[in-house]
Amino acid sequence: MATPHSRDAVTAPTPVTRTARSARMRALQNFLAAMLFLLPSLFIFVSFVFVPLLKTIQLSAFFTDPLGRMASFAGLENYQRIFSEKDLANSLKVSFTFALYVVPTTLVTSLFLAVLANVQLKGISVFRIIFASTIAISAATASLIFLFLFHPAIGIFNYILDLIGLPRVQWLTSEATALLSVSMATVWLMTGFNTVIFLASLQGISQELYESAKIDGAGFWASFRHITIPLLSPTIFFLIVVSTLGALQAFTQINIMTRGGPLDSTNVMVELIYRAFYFNGQYGIAAALSVVLFVMMLALTTIQFGVLEKRVHYE
Amino acid sequence: MKRTTLLIIALAALALVALACAPAATPTPAGPVKFAFWHSMGGTNGDAVNEMMKRFNTAQAACIGEAVFQGSYDDSLNKLKAGLQSKDVPAVVQQFDLATQVLVDLKVIAPMQDFIDKDKFDLKDFEQNVLAYYAIGGRLYGMPYNTSNPMLYFNVDMFKAAGLDPKKPPRTYEEVSKAAAQLTKKDASGKVIVYGYSMAIYGWFFEQLLAASGGLYLDNGNGRDARASKAAFNSGEGVRILTWWKEGYDKGYFGNFGRPTADTQKAFDAQQTAMMIESTAGLRSRLNAAKGKFELGTGFLPRPDEAAFTKSGTIIGGAAVYIMKDRPQGEQNCAWEFVKFTVSPEIQAYWHTASGYYPVTKKSYDVKEDKDWVAQYPQFLTAVDQLHAAPNTRATQGALSGTMPAARQRIELAIEEVIQAKKTPQQALDDAAADVTKLVADYNKSVGQ
Repeated sequence: MATPHSRDAVTAPTPVTRTARSARMRALQNFLAAMLFLLPSLFIFVSFVFVPLLKTIQLSAFFTDPLGRMASFAGLENYQRIFSEKDLANSLKVSFTFALYVVPTTLVTSLFLAVLANVQLKGISVFRIIFASTIAISAATASLIFLFLFHPAIGIFNYILDLIGLPRVQWLTSEATALLSVSMATVWLMTGFNTVIFLASLQGISQELYESAKIDGAGFWASFRHITIPLLSPTIFFLIVVSTLGALQAFTQINIMTRGGPLDSTNVMVELIYRAFYFNGQYGIAAALSVVLFVMMLALTTIQFGVLEKRVHYE
Repeated sequence: MKRTTLLIIALAALALVALACAPAATPTPAGPVKFAFWHSMGGTNGDAVNEMMKRFNTAQAACIGEAVFQGSYDDSLNKLKAGLQSKDVPAVVQQFDLATQVLVDLKVIAPMQDFIDKDKFDLKDFEQNVLAYYAIGGRLYGMPYNTSNPMLYFNVDMFKAAGLDPKKPPRTYEEVSKAAAQLTKKDASGKVIVYGYSMAIYGWFFEQLLAASGGLYLDNGNGRDARASKAAFNSGEGVRILTWWKEGYDKGYFGNFGRPTADTQKAFDAQQTAMMIESTAGLRSRLNAAKGKFELGTGFLPRPDEAAFTKSGTIIGGAAVYIMKDRPQGEQNCAWEFVKFTVSPEIQAYWHTASGYYPVTKKSYDVKEDKDWVAQYPQFLTAVDQLHAAPNTRATQGALSGTMPAARQRIELAIEEVIQAKKTPQQALDDAAADVTKLVADYNKSVGQ
């Protein structure tokens, strides 16, 4: 190959095929290199997300032994059973009501706090830290704190109600208020994260826009409506999607504060799944419920992307 | 060149992932045999368990045990089930009464009876009622470790203030209601400041009240004559309990602090309820909390009538320790040594005074530490008297089924339905019974019965 002779002997490929082949070679090389870089994350993703998902779908079609090992094929019987009993309908209702209580309230609260914290003042970072602080608190810790606050006899909330002469509220022990009480704790918990995200995108908005709006005579509300909200819309969209998914998967605070009671009024989907799996030993049923929750969330997210994203303003 | 570097980095990252997934090399044991003990004792009682393990480790040199807190009994059982599939289980595990049947059905226990027989270990000084609970077909699968029953706790100061005799605490449902009416305090606007009586919406209390009134929880003699096939708690005895509970609640004498027992305890500590039902296992903690604030009295668990006191009694609550079959023989032997150590009279006496669980062996009452203690705090004898007063019947032996944890939660829902006036006691219990029967059938099917 190195001698001029042999070069003459070889039929030279046409320039077109040569570039096409080397381009394909390069593409393949690039793809392989990319795969090599992606492998660690793919490995984790496949082993901790995809395989469990497929296993769950498989488990939902089986009867199990007390250890949760698949014993005999059930077909769709687990699904028939969950759709014929009232628990699933109740939990779906509770979960969606919970999301409805939590998501808009959290978004409005955190946007309000973020706008406040975005003001340029001396020492404002102290407030920024306070507003964001719930990020650092685990749901379990927050639940324990709220259990104290909500305690019917020695809780601070009822103490305050006593002070101002209002009747006491059975926060977590009455069917009428339990879900609302758990939602309050959740809003408090989620506000920190949402405030940080809002604040970050607020700081990404160029001050020049506000200055030119001011020159045009726009007041605070006008600039808020016509500059802040449109430019924040990608963030708002992101937070709506993420918070909704988070609310539908809420578990820790429910399990610690009410365990789904009283009267199943806080028995959200994940609590129902948890009980079926861990207490009732109905592993197949729990898997079927998980699949239902997964499909619902997938559908909801798809709808959100289809409907809401059209209104998002990307720069 | 650049690409090569990047490739090397990627490969290194891959190698790291692979390394993280590789099983850690297990060092070959030399010297004393190490074994793990999983338990579910938190707080004051958890400290006592650690102390027990420390004493065991210093008392002998052949074994080194490590006590690992695994959360509630339910959590620990779930971890055990998960661990069984990955062979990651301790040599000895503490499990509650409700798990007895499922542990036997799983066939993962090295029966305690085998160790007892091999070692010719003498059980004659043990509480026979306690042994009866954990014996299935005459064989002991676990060793009773911490046993308790629920009793009446009351605020002696409030009793005196209301003109009640703290030496004669109420014994029947009727007497409790009457005392509760006298103890309840309201402010000028009619708002209740102090409830006369409270109990957490806790399925265990229902199980105990049912047994104490002579009722069965499951058919086939609580699942002890033959495998249980359906629920039996929707009987006259069961309805009587919920009717009483509901009446007191409607009249405003009974407080409802929800399902968590800790919340009713807090209310009692804060003198917001004058009486409550709670396990004897929390006696030490309650005494600590009441210290300097009020005097604490104890009485028997209330019954529907006086006749019930002779007819039936409380169930052996609490937990036993089990040795796992999957561990090497050396560890099992160490586990057996540890089990023997924990049920020795001295250790059980220490356990009694440190927690409130009564000793599983009667010899503990001869230990000086225990004698001195109960002389000072006679409240620690209530549960013991209650145990000794209970006849050994199918009711007091307690229900046996692998689905008990789920059944307990279902009962809690029924109690809420009654208290919140959604259903009558009979209707709520009938509905719960139908669900529990289904759970029992599911369970029986899952173990191939």
